[in-house]
Amino acid sequence: MSRTSFRFGDLRVVALGLVFILAWAGIGYRLFQVQGADAAVLAQRGFDQRIRHETIEAKRGTIFDRDGVELALTIYGKALIADPSLVDDPTEAAALLAPVLGADYVELAQRLDSEERFTYVARGLENDVVERAAEVIEEADLIGFSFEEAPLRIYPSGGLAAPVIGLTRFDDGAGIEGIESVMDTELAGRPGKRVVERDQAGRAIPQAEFLLEASTPGSDVVLTLDREIQYVAERSLQAAIESTGALGGTAVVMDPETGEILAMVSLPGFDGMDRATLDPSAIRNRAVSDVYEPGSTLKVVAVAAALEEGVVRPSTPFETPHEIEVVGETYTDHGSHPSIMTVTEIVAQSSNVGTIKIQKQLGDETHYRYLDDFGLGRPASIDFRGEATGRLDHVSEWCGPACSASAAIGYGIGTTTLQMAAVYATLANDGEWVEPHMLEEIVAPNGERITTEPRRRQVISAETAETMRSMLRGVVTEGTGFRADIDEFPVGGKTGTSDKFDVETGEYSETETIAWFIGIAPIDDPAIVAAVVLDTPTGRLSDDTELKFGGASAAPVFAEIVEAALHQLGVSPAHDDDA
Amino acid sequence: MTSGAIPRSAARHAGRRTKARPVVRPLLIFILAVTIAFFAVIYSRISLDRTAFDLQLLDREIAAQEERHWDLRAEHARLQAPDRITQRAAELGLVYPDDRQAIEVRGVESVVGGPEDRWMGLRALFVEQP
Repeated sequence: MSRTSFRFGDLRVVALGLVFILAWAGIGYRLFQVQGADAAVLAQRGFDQRIRHETIEAKRGTIFDRDGVELALTIYGKALIADPSLVDDPTEAAALLAPVLGADYVELAQRLDSEERFTYVARGLENDVVERAAEVIEEADLIGFSFEEAPLRIYPSGGLAAPVIGLTRFDDGAGIEGIESVMDTELAGRPGKRVVERDQAGRAIPQAEFLLEASTPGSDVVLTLDREIQYVAERSLQAAIESTGALGGTAVVMDPETGEILAMVSLPGFDGMDRATLDPSAIRNRAVSDVYEPGSTLKVVAVAAALEEGVVRPSTPFETPHEIEVVGETYTDHGSHPSIMTVTEIVAQSSNVGTIKIQKQLGDETHYRYLDDFGLGRPASIDFRGEATGRLDHVSEWCGPACSASAAIGYGIGTTTLQMAAVYATLANDGEWVEPHMLEEIVAPNGERITTEPRRRQVISAETAETMRSMLRGVVTEGTGFRADIDEFPVGGKTGTSDKFDVETGEYSETETIAWFIGIAPIDDPAIVAAVVLDTPTGRLSDDTELKFGGASAAPVFAEIVEAALHQLGVSPAHDDDA
Repeated sequence: MTSGAIPRSAARHAGRRTKARPVVRPLLIFILAVTIAFFAVIYSRISLDRTAFDLQLLDREIAAQEERHWDLRAEHARLQAPDRITQRAAELGLVYPDDRQAIEVRGVESVVGGPEDRWMGLRALFVEQP
C-alpha cells in the first residue's frame, strides 16, 4: 500500500519536475533568443519604435515695408489632421466640422470616407478656429482627429500690394509668386534635424531629444514700398476702375533719384488671406508682366533725343497739319491746334504729326539708340520674376518710314508700366537712368544687412532733362494733361492713349484703348515719378470728354496719388508761381 | 560576591561578543553604504527626471511665449493696416478736409526728408526761440 502510494507520488513529483524543467527550459530558450540570438534585431526594432528622426522647420523670414511694418510674416498656426480609418461617420464629422473650418462639406466628407490612415482636414488654422473645432470634436466625441503645429503665412494688410508680395504654397510654405517667390531662398532659411524618443502615446520623453542640426531661420526682406502710398495708389486706381468700367489697371510710384519703387499697384488684385475666392488671373503683377503700346507717353524719347542731338530746340517751329500720310498710312491728331507749333507746343498738345516730323529729322538709328538707352526692350529690374521684356525690334528690322512714324508716337513698341516709369524717372533725375528696384535690403538672422546698388547710366544731359521737364510742365498747364494738376505742388507729365490691338482680327480697336498718364512731381525739384495705366476705360465725363483718353481717366488718378504721396514723404509745398 | 565582580560565564560571553564585532560592523557599514547609495541613485534619478520635466515645461513655456510674440506682432500689423484705419475713421465720422492748407513755418529750412526730418527742423527752431 505504502509502496504504491510512494510510486504514484514519485511519478507526480517527477512529472511536476519535468513540467518545471520544460517550462524553465522554454523560458531559458526564449531568454537566450531574446537576450542573445535576436538581441540586436529586437533592440533595433524597439529603438525604431521609440526613436524618430524629425525635421525642424525653419521659420520663414518676414517681409517689411520701408518703415518696418510687416507685410508678410509667419506665425505658429495649427493643422487639423485625421485618421479616416477611425472616423465612424464621415458625413456627420464633415457636417459638424465644415462650417467651423470654412471647408467644403462634400469635399471634406469624401476625404474622410476612405481607408487611409492620414489626411489633412485643414491647415493654417488660427487659434480661434482651433478652439471652436476642438470644442466641436469634444462635444460630438469625434474619434480620429488631432491637431498639430503648422506654420501659417499671414498678410496683415490683406490684399494690399498682394500681386507684388505674392504667395506661398499651402503645403510646404514655399514662395510661388511675387517677392515670396523671387526671394524664396533667402526667406525660407534652412531646416534642421533632431532625434526624438517618444513613448507609446507619441509624447516626447524628457531628456531624450538630441539635436543633430539646428534650423536656420530665414532672412528678413525689407522692401522699398511705402504702405501708405501703396494704399492711396490702390484706392485711387480702384475708384477709377469702378467709375470707368476699366478691365484693370496698374500704377507705379518711384523715387527717381534712387530708383526705389514706393508703390506698385496691379488691379484686379487678391487677398492672400482669402484663398477660397482667389482668381488665378489676379495673381500676376500686371505692372511688370503686361505689355502695352505706350502711345503718346513715348513721344518724350524722340523729343529728348532730338534735343540732345541738337536736331531741334524747344522753340523750333514745325508745320503741323491735322494729319500726315506716311507710305500710305495716315496719322492724325486729336482735337484742334495751330498749324505751326514749336517743339514745346507739340509736346503740350501731344501732336502726332509734329512728333513724327521731329523723329524724321532725328533718324531711325539715333531714335532706336535712345529707345534702347532708356531701357526699353529688356527687363527694367531684377526684383521681379517673370518681368516682361516688352518689345523693341532692332532698327534693322523696322519696316521703313511707317514703322519709324509709329515708333515716334508709341506704336509698334511694347512696354510695361515699370519700364515707362523708369523712362520718366530718367528725365526727373537729370538724365540718369537708375534701375527701378523694390528690394531695399536683406537682413540675415545674425543681423548682417545686405544691400545691392542699382545700375545707373547717363542717357541724356542734365540740361536736356531740365528742358524736357519744363515741356512736361506745359502739358499740364496748357496741354492735354491739365487734369493732373494739383494745387500745392507743380507737376508735369504726359498723357497717352493707345488703341488696343486685337490679335484675332489683326487690327486696332476703334473703341478700346489703354489710357496712360506718367508724370513728375514736384516738377521743379522732382521727388517722385508716377505712372498710371487703365485698361479699356469707358464712359464720358460731364463735359462729354471720353474717358478712354489718358488725360481724362488716368491723369486725375495721378493727381490723387501724387498729392497724397508728397504729403506722406513730407515734401514741402511749392513756392512756384505756376503752382 | 562583590559588586564589581563579573561572573565567569558572563565574562566568557562578553569575550565572544568582543570577538564577533570586527566581522559584523564592516558588513553593516557596507550594507548601510549600499542602501544609501541605492537610495541616492534613485533620488538623483528622480531629481534628474523632475528637472527634465521642469526643463520641458520651460521649453513649452518659451514656445508658447514665442507663439504669443508672433501673434501679437501679426495683430499689431493688422491693427495698423490703412484699410482698417480708414474704415474705422469713416465709422467715427472723420473726413478729409475739403481744402488742405499748408502752413509755412518761417525759419525752418526746406526739407525734403520724411516727418522725422521735419520734426528735427521744428525742434531746432524751438531751441532757437527765446
